[in-house]
Amino acid sequence: MDDALHKSGFLPKEEKAPAKTFVIWRPTAQTGLMSWLTTVDHKKIGFLYGFFALIFFLVGGFEALLIRTQLMFPNNTVLTAQQYNRMFTMHGTTMIFLAVMPLGAAFFNIIMPLQIGARDVAFPRLNAFSLWTFCAGAIILNIGWFLPALHYGPPDAGWFGYSPLTSKTFTPSHATDFWILGLQLLGVASIAAALNFIVTIINMRAPGLTMMRLPVFVWMTLVTSFLIILSFPAITIALVEVMMDRNFSTNFFEVSGGGMPILWQHLFWIFGHPEVYILILPAMGIVSEILPCFARKPLYGYPIVVFSGACIGFLGFAVWSHHMFTTGMGAVATAAFSLATMCIAVPTGVKIFNWIGTLWGGHLQMRTPMMFALGFIWMFMIGGFSGIMHSAAPADAQQQDSYFVVAHFHYVLIGGSIFALLGGIHYWFPLIFGRKVSEFWGKLSFWLIFVGFNVTFFPQHFLGLNGMPRRTFTYDANMGWSTGNFVSTMGSYLLGLGIVTYFAVVLYTYFKGERVGRDVWDGRTLEWSIPNPPPEYNFRVIPTVHARDAWWYEKHHQEEIAKEKAALEKAEAAHGGIHMPFQSIYPFVASCGILVAAFGVTAVDADWEHPGIHLKLGLTLVGGAIMLAGIYLWALEGAEGYHLHPEGDDHGHDSPAEKH
Amino acid sequence: MSAPATTAVTADHGHDESKFHIYVQIAMLLAVITGVEIIAVYLPFPKWTIVTALVTLSTVKFMFVIFYFMHLRWDKPFCTILFFIGLILAGGTMWALLQLFSAEAALPLPT
Amino acid sequence: MGTTRPPRNTEPPPFASHLSPFLLMTSHAATIDHHHDPSTSTGIPNKKLLMWAFLASDCMFFGTLISTHLIYRLHPPAGGKVPTQVFDIQLTSFSTFILLMSSLMMALAVNAIQKGNVKSCRWSLLTTIFFGTIFLGCQVFEFNNFVYEHDMTISNSLLGTTFFTLTGTHGCHVAIGVLWLGLMYVRSFKLAHGPGGAGAWMKNLLHLVALFGGIVLTTKVVLGLVWSLQDFQGHSMATFASREFLSIAGALVALGGMFWFARPAGEVEFNEKHAIDVESMGLYWHFVDIVWIVIFTAVYLLEYL
Repeated sequence: MDDALHKSGFLPKEEKAPAKTFVIWRPTAQTGLMSWLTTVDHKKIGFLYGFFALIFFLVGGFEALLIRTQLMFPNNTVLTAQQYNRMFTMHGTTMIFLAVMPLGAAFFNIIMPLQIGARDVAFPRLNAFSLWTFCAGAIILNIGWFLPALHYGPPDAGWFGYSPLTSKTFTPSHATDFWILGLQLLGVASIAAALNFIVTIINMRAPGLTMMRLPVFVWMTLVTSFLIILSFPAITIALVEVMMDRNFSTNFFEVSGGGMPILWQHLFWIFGHPEVYILILPAMGIVSEILPCFARKPLYGYPIVVFSGACIGFLGFAVWSHHMFTTGMGAVATAAFSLATMCIAVPTGVKIFNWIGTLWGGHLQMRTPMMFALGFIWMFMIGGFSGIMHSAAPADAQQQDSYFVVAHFHYVLIGGSIFALLGGIHYWFPLIFGRKVSEFWGKLSFWLIFVGFNVTFFPQHFLGLNGMPRRTFTYDANMGWSTGNFVSTMGSYLLGLGIVTYFAVVLYTYFKGERVGRDVWDGRTLEWSIPNPPPEYNFRVIPTVHARDAWWYEKHHQEEIAKEKAALEKAEAAHGGIHMPFQSIYPFVASCGILVAAFGVTAVDADWEHPGIHLKLGLTLVGGAIMLAGIYLWALEGAEGYHLHPEGDDHGHDSPAEKH
Repeated sequence: MSAPATTAVTADHGHDESKFHIYVQIAMLLAVITGVEIIAVYLPFPKWTIVTALVTLSTVKFMFVIFYFMHLRWDKPFCTILFFIGLILAGGTMWALLQLFSAEAALPLPT
Repeated sequence: MGTTRPPRNTEPPPFASHLSPFLLMTSHAATIDHHHDPSTSTGIPNKKLLMWAFLASDCMFFGTLISTHLIYRLHPPAGGKVPTQVFDIQLTSFSTFILLMSSLMMALAVNAIQKGNVKSCRWSLLTTIFFGTIFLGCQVFEFNNFVYEHDMTISNSLLGTTFFTLTGTHGCHVAIGVLWLGLMYVRSFKLAHGPGGAGAWMKNLLHLVALFGGIVLTTKVVLGLVWSLQDFQGHSMATFASREFLSIAGALVALGGMFWFARPAGEVEFNEKHAIDVESMGLYWHFVDIVWIVIFTAVYLLEYL
């Protein structure tokens, strides 16, 4: 795999500068496992996020197919009730935390610094730490599959882990502990990455790149990052509380001790609602990039689109209890949250009108990324309609916990987030890998996915309105749900086929696809101005931005820009060349420590009298020590780097850079 | 090495000299306010006045620490905006939660 | 869409100031402006911006934790512990005052290093650590008091659950702060022109061991002394010396080590350029202090009304 990567040009070909000597070894590997474990390059880190995300997307998809197969016929026996619980729990958890979020992170990492004219993110080693901690979280979440089911097993209490089901009384096995710690680790990774992106976007923009000239995708990255840092603390606390209930017999949600399980729901959804905006805003950003490019027009109403995105993000903190309309909060609370939820439709609708405005009067090029973007607008709207129906609390009283909700969120998450992310892969593939996906196969995979998706989930609206409840492993033949479920399952197989086709096509293109030159779509934003695949340092010369759609401006003012770049290049060379950060192993070491400690906390059976307590404490302390050592050495090695002097010109003729 | 950084030096050193004294004075003020708060709880005033007084005094301490010790007064406004986003959101969420759990519907049923 | 507005602020910023921040951290004879970093788009140093964003996040963290506690104080279960009977307001007032003073010391540490005064910075850092440790010691004392004298544990009462989790989490933040301060203090002794390599690293490690060993052991001894004076849990003054002999000896050795490693040994690589690190540390420490301001009022004082 690594060989193919090297041939594909994605890896830098230049020789690394000799590392400064230090007590602890300073990695310089260019190829092989070490180069990946020690990378601090945002493009490689983004690639790894995407790689893991797509693997987990397949895992989550497989779990979904098992669910649909079980529900294909009434009284089916493909899965037991216990297995079914694991399936829907892991399908949801995997898709949200291990597929969509890291796929978003992949784009944030690879594309955002390029769009702002930066050479990397603000804190490259922290970026690597986020990636490896994400991996640790993914391992802890899924480790239950490989351990004996009775005492361990994968999480099975739903992706939202309601109390008191998650108490030791009702789920005594370690499965719930894996879920809790897995999510905690993912939270740490997400918050660290989001902090990094905020500082990068605010502080590392190219000269002349004011906030209102930023590409919309960068704005959405910023808003999503704010949502992450402000919403994850709530679930962190909720998870701490349930973990303490399970392990230290506290009374946070323990009724006999005076606790209130409803508190869990509040804390979870204070996180959970902004979380769904974290899932959709990056997708909206990607669509806002694709549409102007393929409509051959600038985005309609840029300031309003940006402002609406920010509004959606922040209003999202005020609506969490719409997930709890049926819990008996009282008329005032229910009405307040109902109204607030309806308000969110406004900025969302505004964005949709602006996207339509972008298309209106444009010269539409129906390439594959455009198909996904158009599909997004339509499918997301349908999901939005069912969402508005939920916002009316009386209607929600029937819809809550039924398949109507399942239909709603799959329309916004697949029809919305996934469509945009899949489209984004097609759109930016030529930039990152220098190859283009064939139009025929790309469009074929789109249509298979589109049709399969709609056949799967449209019937579920009706199943829900006809009373089919969620999270039940089977149903009787006389409920009137049999046809709907059968059709839905058939659709899911088609959707599965579509996804497999998509993956096969992308994989093929990666190895053998048609090679293309730079700026294959005649794009508008800065990432298209650099060689494809991008060199390690991104830009030979940091661009100076004069207008929104900076690259479009550059293409149409070539003389002016050429003069500017020549002057800046001289200045940069006079200052010693391009500065690049050294690679580092310590983020990886710190994450390993966290993984060991998390394993100690969750997997080892012990209470204070049990002999296993020594192993549990020991593992936890050892893991903690490794983490501290990693952080200590990370601090000690310092944020130093080396200098590059790229040779050759910037017009597609790259030669190895000269190091010193 | 040429130093473009220095072109942007806005020498604000005038106030640096006296910052030591500002810090010490504020610390004394904070100590005094803390003392007042402790005494206040034992004073024979209606509960709501004491609560208001305590909240106000705590807010005053809070503001002094963030604007002076944490330097927000002399830093770029964006730092203040950034922090207040988190602060206001946290405060708003806390307020909403307390309202939700004070509502009659949230009271435990009589046993 | 069609109207062209006069371009605003298209003047590129000062020549080449967008160049990597690393470049500008090299030799600068000129004074550093601690309020403005020209290598960033806003002028705010990256580390400072990172810390402020993190603190905004931490507001939500403590906000939800404090909310949990306050929610459970709205309708306390009958027969539960009564806070005013358990809390010792004098002890808590004392530790609040101590934390406020530590905040002052932290601000002075930042102020000192911004002027390049390493010695003053070190003393202020040490005093901050000292006050922070006293605060933690008071918390340990308080927790023990609640558990053994008032039979309020984290699991046997709702008040215990929320109180210990909330103040314990805050205490963990203080402890992390003390750890960070200690690392910063020891780091300030790094020689500018030394042989470097394994020798310097070992010195750094041993200094850290001496510092943290000293902190932990001294705290243990002092707490032991206080408890012996109170005849707490059957420990009397008579047995104090024999019980704490090893700890006392260890503390003395550690303190000796601290003096040893603090001997002047030449120019250190710690000056105004590193003020940003101390400042970021300071922001964290002050934040921990303001969270305590909120906790002291909401958890302790309001109960007395």
